[in-house]
Amino acid sequence: MNPILELTDVTRVHGEGANQVHALRGISFTAHAGELVAVMGPSGSGKSTLLTIAGGLDQPTAGTVSVEGTHLGGLDLQGRARMRRTSIGYVFQGFNLIPALTAAENVALPRELDGISARAARKEARTALDEVGIGELADRFPDDMSGGQQQRVAIARAIIGERRLILADEPTGALDTETGEEILQLLRARCDAGAAGVLVTHEARHAAWADRVVFLRDGVVVDETGADRVDVLTEHAAR
Amino acid sequence: MSQNLSTSGGWRVALRLARREALRRKGQTALMLVLICLPVLAVSAAAIVWRTADVSSVEGIDRRMGSAEALIETSYADKIVQTPDPESGGYGIPGEKVNEDEVLDIDDLAAVRDVVGRDRPVTVFGRDSLGFRTDKGIGDFEAFTTDLANPVTDGLFEPVSGEYPPGPGEVVVNQALADRGPGVGDSLTAVRKRMDGTEQEFRLRIVGVAESAGSRGYPIAAALPGAFGKGEDTTGRWLVGGGPVTWDDVQALNEVGLLVTSRAVLNDPPTLDLDPTAVPSQDGIDDITMTVLALVVAMVLIEVVLLAGPAFAVRAKAQAHTLALVAAAGGTPRQARRTVLASGVVIGSVGGVLGVALGVLIGVLAVPIAQRFDQSRFGPFEVPWLLLLVVAAFGLVSALLAAVVPAFSASRHDVVAVLGGRRGEGSPSVRTPILGLVLLGGGVVSAVLGSAGGRDTAPLLIAGSAIVSVFGMILVVPMVVGLISRLAARWPLALRFAARDAARHRTRTVPAVAAVGATVAGVVALGIAVSSQEAANKDAYQPQLPIGYASIALGLDADRDAVEETLTRFLPGQGVQAVRGLQTSTEAGELEIEFTADGEAVMLDYWSSIGSPYLVGTEVPDFIEMDASERERADELLADGGLVLLRGADDDGPDAPEVQVDVRRYDPAGDEPKDLASATSKAGVVHVQRPTAPAPALMSPKVARSLGLEVDTVGLVLPGPVSESQEKDVQEAFGALAVQPYFYVERGYQADDAVQIIQFVLAALGAILMLGGTLTATFLALSDARPDLATMAAVGARPRERRRVAAGYALFVGGIGALLGAPVGFIPGLAISQPLTRHHETGVSSLDVPWLLIIAVVIGLPLLTAAAVGACARGRLPLTARVE
Repeated sequence: MNPILELTDVTRVHGEGANQVHALRGISFTAHAGELVAVMGPSGSGKSTLLTIAGGLDQPTAGTVSVEGTHLGGLDLQGRARMRRTSIGYVFQGFNLIPALTAAENVALPRELDGISARAARKEARTALDEVGIGELADRFPDDMSGGQQQRVAIARAIIGERRLILADEPTGALDTETGEEILQLLRARCDAGAAGVLVTHEARHAAWADRVVFLRDGVVVDETGADRVDVLTEHAAR
Repeated sequence: MSQNLSTSGGWRVALRLARREALRRKGQTALMLVLICLPVLAVSAAAIVWRTADVSSVEGIDRRMGSAEALIETSYADKIVQTPDPESGGYGIPGEKVNEDEVLDIDDLAAVRDVVGRDRPVTVFGRDSLGFRTDKGIGDFEAFTTDLANPVTDGLFEPVSGEYPPGPGEVVVNQALADRGPGVGDSLTAVRKRMDGTEQEFRLRIVGVAESAGSRGYPIAAALPGAFGKGEDTTGRWLVGGGPVTWDDVQALNEVGLLVTSRAVLNDPPTLDLDPTAVPSQDGIDDITMTVLALVVAMVLIEVVLLAGPAFAVRAKAQAHTLALVAAAGGTPRQARRTVLASGVVIGSVGGVLGVALGVLIGVLAVPIAQRFDQSRFGPFEVPWLLLLVVAAFGLVSALLAAVVPAFSASRHDVVAVLGGRRGEGSPSVRTPILGLVLLGGGVVSAVLGSAGGRDTAPLLIAGSAIVSVFGMILVVPMVVGLISRLAARWPLALRFAARDAARHRTRTVPAVAAVGATVAGVVALGIAVSSQEAANKDAYQPQLPIGYASIALGLDADRDAVEETLTRFLPGQGVQAVRGLQTSTEAGELEIEFTADGEAVMLDYWSSIGSPYLVGTEVPDFIEMDASERERADELLADGGLVLLRGADDDGPDAPEVQVDVRRYDPAGDEPKDLASATSKAGVVHVQRPTAPAPALMSPKVARSLGLEVDTVGLVLPGPVSESQEKDVQEAFGALAVQPYFYVERGYQADDAVQIIQFVLAALGAILMLGGTLTATFLALSDARPDLATMAAVGARPRERRRVAAGYALFVGGIGALLGAPVGFIPGLAISQPLTRHHETGVSSLDVPWLLIIAVVIGLPLLTAAAVGACARGRLPLTARVE
């Protein structure tokens, strides 16, 4: 079974000469459909860089990244933007909703940017909001919502349009424990429904929701647990 | 005391913070400086050009009297009272006017010496308007007669080449005259035309070229007294040397009716308490002008404050987090306010000083350019420091005012919301738009009163209404922005985002929208005023001939052959038509004809551009336009030996089937008119197609014969077309004839170029201000919205989405501003057009709304600005700004 996200020997170097910082050093990493992978590690270990490169917001210095079989390195800015609209969804710690747009409009944003009609986009957005359990808040502005509600909107935005790769960067960081658990439950459910998820977190208990945990330190993978889950999935697919 | 100390200490901290912030955000600071600096720079440069171009009494001494101590002129009174400078201050005549022959003649040097002292050097300084022969005919020039070799005249002229005229047969000319014909070594033929039609010619040898100290561009020549003969006006003008002419001397000369401009008095003018009824004041600014000027300054201040407002709002918002932290640590709202106001102080003072400095620089460069467009010579370069200080203070005040609203808004921020990262502002006040609507109502009332008011009250009321309406509009803007953003739900994404974001950040959006609105209001108001005035001029215009036709009124003693020869030479192949009519100017006096029907005089227009009011012929000439039926009737009457009275198209009156014609003659002595002849004739009144008839009456040769009057060719008419250069050539050629005929070309109403230029300048100014206001607001909004744009990028926005958002902002700000500003501009615009165009007799006003200009400004400009902003904006979205 082909992975949804595949990073091969990815290196990312910031700066030049004496100021050079190696954020990632030859990392290889995969996430398959139905799999939630947690990425853990101390600050500066390269977790966030991994996520920005996986989403095409940044380019690796060396190595390749492919999403659903498409090499991001072979795409221009336009092409990578299209991938984010159609294949990759982001969830951030700070929610990153646009305060000037309603919940439904925030969720509909990738679809509208993709050029489908505003009416159709809004319909899809309502379905997505229903899926994350806040369909009734569709016309509220972010400033009038709680943190948990905002993050649900953000998840709805990340899954709209049948996107199969969800990249979540500390999605529970700004939430209380209970709400945080609910959000992770949502992410887990999306992955069980067929998406591939990458969850950057520094809390071990959140990693418990993942099928696999990858530990990073100084830009290299130092440990990986639960790889058997992938084997099970692969075998399942082969059958 | 301790309160004072803490206040000054508080300011010190606030100013330090503001200075650091200014250095930290260099791009934003540069933008704020430009907004404050530009108006200061423009006004400073203009002030320098204006003060330099303006020649004060003292600066103008040399160009008025050379090196002399005083310029003495005769007045037509036996005694006068004058101000220190009679040219700018005026003079009065408390005594009697005296007969012309008693006035001191220019040759009466001795009489002047009697008063000023026999040992003083005195020289004649005459000036006259004369003609000079060119290849085509005669041109005009200003002739000075004085002895340029006399040291008292030093400074009147600046020699360029050659020498001053040593003898009476020689002349020195300026370059402008030399360019039009004869040069050094050639001879100048000066022509003096007398009232009685005779001319005198003087051939003078040009011995040099010299420029007048006062004027340039207009032909000037100078020769010794008597070189140009003597004209009708022999008013004495003399230059006096030999020591200062004191105020006492001046008053002594006034006693004998002499007017004096004295160097000593101008340099040190006495304080006077002149009776204002004796000396009519000519200078000083009246109250109305002053008030209107104050209102204009207020409008400019509002505009500058509004334009700079968004920048200060964004700066305050950037500081919001710091201020919230300060508040959390125990800072008072007042301290927060002061910190934002300090930005105004820092930017305002630097902007003011920088603006004045650059203004002086621009002024230095602009003075020689401005001189090129002005015929009078400028005075010495002058920097009005006091005025520039006021202008710099204006910069400071405008920056401070621009910071006021953000400062108050910052001091009222919800600390928790700010620290929690929520970025919006509270909901708008309900009272503000109500007050705005009240002010708008007040503006309308003031405008209505002003439109009905006279020339003294109208300007005040209408200018007041303009200010009040603009203030009202500013207060309504927040509500309108909110309402329109609510309509955004179905708009395209970029525009929807821009509208909602603009509504969320009112302190930034409102001044920008208001600046655009105030600009559009100004353009619309001035546009309506200018167009209406032009419409009034057009309405008042009365063509004298069919469009394109030309006429020549020959007058008595005209050399018809020479006239026709000139026409054949310059206008070959044009069917010149002779106009036959009664010659009303005769040797014995002026003829007047009265037409009476049923015992009452028939009222007719009494004027003509074709040589005579009474035309004679057997049919109506083609240059008198009338309906076919009217023409048929008139032709029948004339063929039948009758008489046709002509009325303007709009004039009413009864027909006159039979009229009595009485001819009277006024003799030159002005005695009672003498009845000359009477006759009764079959007649009819016909209407011409124009508001006024080109002549009052057409008569058949039979009627003229029965009155015993001589019929002659009184004028010539040709159908044209006559180009402007042909017209100039003909005029110049006619100028050379002994009796100059009156030549007229009917071109219809000629729109004043100035109107089109003013409209263009208005549109351009509107465009610049709108572009400025919209651009600053848009780019500030974009920098503010960076996190949102990063989010958009993260969910897959195309790189050019930022451009669309930028254009959306520009369209929203420009569009709402224009839609609000246009109706507000109509209020004073419609009002001012009334008193401005009111006909002094009929009381009818003209109104012309320049729709094209308004559509261009209201619809075209916002679209153009949006397109320009979209094209200029960086397309690339910030990518990783928010991905932690």
